[in-house]
Amino acid sequence: MSNNKFKILVIEDESNIRSFVQTMLETNGYQVLTAVTCRQGMMMFSSHIPDMVILDLGLPDRDGLEFIRMARGLSSVPILVLSARALEEDKVAALDLGANDYVTKPFGTAELMARVRAGLRIRMMAGELKDGLTGEFQLDDLTIDYSRRVVTVADREVKLTQTEFNILSLLSQHKGKVLTYSTIIRSIWGSQDDGSVKKLQVNMANIRKKLGTVPGDNRYIINELGVGYRMLDE
Amino acid sequence: MDKKTQWLMDGLFMASTLFVSFFLNLALQEVYHSRTLIPMIFVLGVFLVSWKTQGYFWGIASSMISVLLVNYTFTYPYWAFDLISPECIFSAVVMLIVSVMTGALTTKLKVQEKIRAEIERERMRANLLRAVSHDLRTPLTSIYGSTSTILENYDALTKEQKLKLTREVQEDAQWLIRMVENLLSVTRIDDGKVQISKIPTVLEELIDAVILKFHKHYPDQTVTVRIPDDFISIPMDAMLIEQVLLNILENAVNHAVGMTELVLTVADRDSRAWFSVRDNGCGIPADRMKLLFTGYLDRADHPADGTRHNMGIGLSVCSAIVKAHGSEIYARNLPDGGVEFSFSLEKEETNEQQ
Repeated sequence: MSNNKFKILVIEDESNIRSFVQTMLETNGYQVLTAVTCRQGMMMFSSHIPDMVILDLGLPDRDGLEFIRMARGLSSVPILVLSARALEEDKVAALDLGANDYVTKPFGTAELMARVRAGLRIRMMAGELKDGLTGEFQLDDLTIDYSRRVVTVADREVKLTQTEFNILSLLSQHKGKVLTYSTIIRSIWGSQDDGSVKKLQVNMANIRKKLGTVPGDNRYIINELGVGYRMLDE
Repeated sequence: MDKKTQWLMDGLFMASTLFVSFFLNLALQEVYHSRTLIPMIFVLGVFLVSWKTQGYFWGIASSMISVLLVNYTFTYPYWAFDLISPECIFSAVVMLIVSVMTGALTTKLKVQEKIRAEIERERMRANLLRAVSHDLRTPLTSIYGSTSTILENYDALTKEQKLKLTREVQEDAQWLIRMVENLLSVTRIDDGKVQISKIPTVLEELIDAVILKFHKHYPDQTVTVRIPDDFISIPMDAMLIEQVLLNILENAVNHAVGMTELVLTVADRDSRAWFSVRDNGCGIPADRMKLLFTGYLDRADHPADGTRHNMGIGLSVCSAIVKAHGSEIYARNLPDGGVEFSFSLEKEETNEQQ
């Protein structure tokens, strides 16, 4: 039984937080490994090969960003970053280095569990992604048909421009994951200049309008202010 | 304004002031055939320059030029320099004294202005700390008490009692989180020279984030949102402005008794975005209106009645944040009841709609 449980490595120096995260994860049927320092985390990572890592950025010995750099050199394991109070630069740096997602402290357990589930789903999907863009994406009443390049909301077709479709399908392929502005810009336009973020924001505004989303009732794409965008996945 | 443009502006100001006084003198001389006004007008010019420009340089320069101009144009020999006459040297000295003393006075004034602003900031911080430390004690006492009760009487308590106590601990903790967030914002603003970092933020995304967060805390309270359809980008510290809007909305929920409608409106006027939050609740008594943004609205008015949602702190934080964005926040009672909070931010110019 215990062998097919997902293994999650929690690297966090605050013992109280470590303990409640561990309890929470174990109650939800995950196997939990814990590390207190960055160095210990790296050792645990290479010897146990966890299915997911929950990483605190402010560790006593080294910057958590170093762990991400090391781990990304070895595997594409989902990394969920715990960051203290809303420092955009840290979040963006972590995401750009390859972290999959972040949760800002203080966080609720429900939020954390949702992110963990999303992260593990990314892991399971990772194989399918490389097969190119075929098939369909479904979220609530939104459907994206990758091969026909058609988007529908509640069975009604939505007319998107090339760029808008590309952005939407990029987000949908990474559903549940925050894509930073620069990540999206790099994969849509290739290069980045001063006006790129504005261009992206204008495109996103058009997408929202066409999908018919209202502020405060955004069913498809979450705006991470100053960081990027995330397609919901549940 | 950076140093270079300031320098250029000052130079321009000096040139135009001297130009005006020079031609005024020429004209007066034509009309009245008297030269008694000439030095006075130049002294006035020098005074203006020393007063309006930064530092001493332009003041001294203008006094020297004035002396030369007077010497060249208005004293015998006309249209020629006579720099060694005692009259010339004496007038040069007088002009110099005027410019240096004016410069010294204005510099002193500016320093005092700065000190006053600093004192104001310090006072605000002290108020806030006083109010907060008082306010933190209540939830902390309750958390400490509840958890001790559970730990010491675990077997004696019924399941319902334990759940109730734990839920209260959670509520108190959530309240503490919001309070700490407010405090952090203020220290960020007050942090000496560290300016808030303004990043162009899409209005729609901001409002979306605010409403989403608000519904997390208050799932049952609907907010009517009215924002322009256009793409509007506003340079701001999104994290802080988000908090301002959240504080105001939360304030309405906690204090607007009898409220049935809560409306968040953003209007696009004169290249500014005008934010307003209005409710149709009980309004704010006139005597409290004055203290609204000062952080002074403390428990003196409602002691020990159990409500610890101190609106004074949240609103003084709002005011500080909006001020740091170079604007001002207003509150007014509406004629049909209820309160409106409003502030405006400068929009970013966007021409390329593509």
